[in-house]
Amino acid sequence: MAGSRLQTVGSVFSRTRDLLRAGVLKEKPLWFDIYNAFPPLREPVFRRPRLRYGKAKAAIQDILYPEDRIRAKFYLAYGSGQKAFDLFNPNFKSTCQQFVEKYIELQKLGETDEEKLFVETGKALLAEGVILRRVGEARTQKAGSHVSWESEPSAVKSQTVLENNKPLPEALQGQHMEPSEEQSKALK
Amino acid sequence: MAPAASVSRLLGAGVCAGPLRPRLLQSATPGRARPSGRTLASAATPAVREPEGSIDLNDRILNEPLKHSDFFNVKELFSVRSLFDARVHLGHKAGCRHRFMEPYIFGSRLDQDIIDLEQTAAHLRLALNFTAHVAYRKGIILFVGRNRQFSHLIETTARDCGEYAHTRYFKGGLLTNAPLLLGPKVRLPDLIIFLHTLNNVFEPHVAVRDAAKMQIPTVGVVDTNCNPCLITYPVPGNDDSPPSVHLFCRLFQTIINRAKQKRRHMEALYRLQGQEGPGARGGGPAHPPSLGAYPGDRSSPLPEESGSHACP
Repeated sequence: MAGSRLQTVGSVFSRTRDLLRAGVLKEKPLWFDIYNAFPPLREPVFRRPRLRYGKAKAAIQDILYPEDRIRAKFYLAYGSGQKAFDLFNPNFKSTCQQFVEKYIELQKLGETDEEKLFVETGKALLAEGVILRRVGEARTQKAGSHVSWESEPSAVKSQTVLENNKPLPEALQGQHMEPSEEQSKALK
Repeated sequence: MAPAASVSRLLGAGVCAGPLRPRLLQSATPGRARPSGRTLASAATPAVREPEGSIDLNDRILNEPLKHSDFFNVKELFSVRSLFDARVHLGHKAGCRHRFMEPYIFGSRLDQDIIDLEQTAAHLRLALNFTAHVAYRKGIILFVGRNRQFSHLIETTARDCGEYAHTRYFKGGLLTNAPLLLGPKVRLPDLIIFLHTLNNVFEPHVAVRDAAKMQIPTVGVVDTNCNPCLITYPVPGNDDSPPSVHLFCRLFQTIINRAKQKRRHMEALYRLQGQEGPGARGGGPAHPPSLGAYPGDRSSPLPEESGSHACP
């Protein structure tokens, strides 16, 4: 049986069609008519994967929502929510999601000041019975007292810790604070 | 019997040494005896010559489904919502992204690629339709996947459709050197379905390239780190989550069984028409009530059927 093993030349279909037309391949394969009737969206031709050079970047956009700003502030203030995420439930609402929804509700009522909205939402959620433990306050207190008499690198480090959106567990925080305390003591 | 022996050899290909235990699950139907262009020795002439009328019937059985855009009613099997619930849209992190998968990616959420489910739905419809037509024409379908987590699932899926699976180490010349490894007269698969396009070292599976070499069309689930170039009907989707793989296996199984059932119905119908006499062939009904066995297919063929049944 004749065939063409050149997988880099054309698609499977183009090679078979040309072999049939040339008369080299006697019998039409089973799938030929089906492919003719229902071709794929892209012809399966071989392409060599080339690397991107210089500043060329993929044209894929980041998926971000306006609620992400609220989520960022929430995680900065309260750390990761107390309630664990239940991913098996498709209709699950985390503490953060409840916070975001309440925030948007209050925003629609007419409030414009962000900090006020934030505080109001916190109060509303506490009233509903959702526990919110402030983690950011303890962090800002400690870091604030260090800023005045710390050397540059560690000051930068504590700044990045503050600006970091990812919620840090408290144990790690304690570890962060201890070496910078020691450093400042050494400086003194 | 030559076909059964070749079938068992095709199945036992994954075994390196020892007795030829069929590691793959064999199909129940032994009806693979029809010689096609893939047999590598000349086919023996059949002892009984088919009557001329039946060749015409055969042609009609084969060409009828190609005239409808959705003969097997593929679109009712899934929706974009069901794909989303099965987590088909979740891709790998942006660092693992393959350059050729970029057109199929919707965006990246916190560095994780999200696959565009509208495109996936379109590709999946085409792929399922193609699979159904191949199964309708009694083609051999081979399921390939090298992810050990779903190895058993793929094999049971293949067994339940009556088709074949190869989820073990793929020996070098299995497709390209088939006469040596599998025997002189072996019919190669007419379609290869990849549930996982990569092998265990995250390189493209050898069967993708070999199928392109041997002019075998392929259908494959391509994740964001796979190369979709050589796959005839790629389906961009998640190949790592269990719900996603379960969904794809279920879809392929359903559509293959449906296509085979349809084929049996069509053959019964045309056999009945043939028995009535050649004169009565032109006026036969398009689809008998028995084809209403799976719902939703009545509406599409009937209006077009009346036009296509021209008296010869």
